Amino acid sequence: MAAPPGHIENRIRRLRFDAGEMTQKDLADRVGVTRQTIIAIEGAKYSPTLELAFRIARAFGVGLDDVFTFHDD
Amino acid sequence: MSYSEREAATGLITSLIVLGLFLWRLAGQHDAGLFDGPDALQIWARSVLILVAWSIGIAIVVTIGFHIAYAALTGEKTDDVRDERDRDIERRALTWAWYLLSFGLLGVIIDLALGASALRAMNLVLALCALSEIFKDALKFWLYRRGA
Repeated sequence: MAAPPGHIENRIRRLRFDAGEMTQKDLADRVGVTRQTIIAIEGAKYSPTLELAFRIARAFGVGLDDVFTFHDD
Repeated sequence: MSYSEREAATGLITSLIVLGLFLWRLAGQHDAGLFDGPDALQIWARSVLILVAWSIGIAIVVTIGFHIAYAALTGEKTDDVRDERDRDIERRALTWAWYLLSFGLLGVIIDLALGASALRAMNLVLALCALSEIFKDALKFWLYRRGA
């Protein structure tokens, strides 16, 4: 059975700004991925695994819901 | 460009060079009549083994050359981090390359059933391996470029 359509939005750009203009490279180093992966997530072109999503939220000191939100299409 | 993206680019360049080398060498030997005798498959296999050795050398040279040239041109430091997105792209590219190889092999078996020679079948298998490798690296590179 196909999954119902939906998309994930994120507030990473805003959270980076609030964290003193943290760079994509800084965030990538903190969560252990490449800068290109952060760019892809921020542009909503790649959905991270749950583990990476938690690591990103932890890097900003916020909950998962404060970074990612799921919307039904 | 990430390390994995550069890997896809070097893989693509290497595969295209190797395919060209194989086509040039095997077509030349075919035109010279080397594959006309009863031991054609043995001669073909020896030629392919030599070409495989050449391919390994080409892959090493292209990989080192590309990384050095990229670092010199962009000034970026080599960062060989591979993450979950790289593995996801690798898995997707491998899956599609595997489909291509599987259906291609089915086509070769059908060709054999219709009376094709063993030498022709082996050449087709070799071409399929090369094409699926090129397809895999091209797909990986495209997925990286579109930011998947």
